[in-house]
Amino acid sequence: MPDLYIFKAQVGMFDPLALQNQNVCIHYVQNTYYRKVDFLEALPPFQCLNIGALGAAGISARTNVVNLEMPDNEFGLFRWYPIDDAQIRLFHPAGMAKWQLRNLQVTIDMQVLVRDPNLVSTEIAVWQNNRPAMEAINGNAFALGAVRIIAIGYRFHTIDLESTDKELVKALKAGTQPCTHVWCSGRGIGD
Amino acid sequence: MLLNTKEGTIVVSPLVNLAGAGAGFAVVVFAIPVLAGQLIGTKSAKIRKVNLYNNAAGNTQVIIGNGIPCVAVMPALDSINGLFDSYGPDELVEFETFADITAYPVALAAGTSIDIQLELLILG
Repeated sequence: MPDLYIFKAQVGMFDPLALQNQNVCIHYVQNTYYRKVDFLEALPPFQCLNIGALGAAGISARTNVVNLEMPDNEFGLFRWYPIDDAQIRLFHPAGMAKWQLRNLQVTIDMQVLVRDPNLVSTEIAVWQNNRPAMEAINGNAFALGAVRIIAIGYRFHTIDLESTDKELVKALKAGTQPCTHVWCSGRGIGD
Repeated sequence: MLLNTKEGTIVVSPLVNLAGAGAGFAVVVFAIPVLAGQLIGTKSAKIRKVNLYNNAAGNTQVIIGNGIPCVAVMPALDSINGLFDSYGPDELVEFETFADITAYPVALAAGTSIDIQLELLILG
């Protein structure tokens, strides 16, 4: 299935990474879950978080993005951007830095809409209630009235394969059946 | 392009009559939208245009700001006796506010007033 993968870039709304009855492998930190998609729907752009007012040159508290939590057996696929002039640091889950280089944790700001119009580089997935968290950095010499985040994406309901179809899981692990791998967390450096 | 980068939605304020001079007599010209029952959806506004009509109030100035008494958020705008004055994006800075917008005339001839209307960009 070469057309099913994360971080797709194309003109228009981004594609879901799996369709009805297709297999996914959900990675959450060091855990993997082989599952099949049995429902999906799009999530139109919505304001998922307002970190709140932020003083001049201030850094906000780390704020859980509870509105990106998914119900049991579901994962969400999101792309997102801020609409206020702050830099955002992402943590996923809350204790793990996302977009971590050796010497720098990469941030995102409003300019991402110009520099990466498809928001490919912002794509994250959320497994059940394992939500991400964000910190906002105000580099301005004036206060910001709010730091608001807009997200857009897909919702996928899945069914477990490991307890119902061990042969298929074996084939998915061996790579003889198609399966899309979805990272629903960051990963510690050196892990 | 995946997403429309247009910043927001353009709306106009009601036509408001300013009949009292001084910060304490400021009037709310535009209230920031609050969507009842919406858990998240903080809105803010940027003023794009200011239209003033001076009802024989004398040459004066109009202050635009937040709160009552009004605290100015931009320089005073001239309002010429008996004339229509319009300030657009070329004259105004892109000031963004999360609070209701209020305005007042610095002075008024007795028994006169100034009409004001804003065009705004709503974000969020």
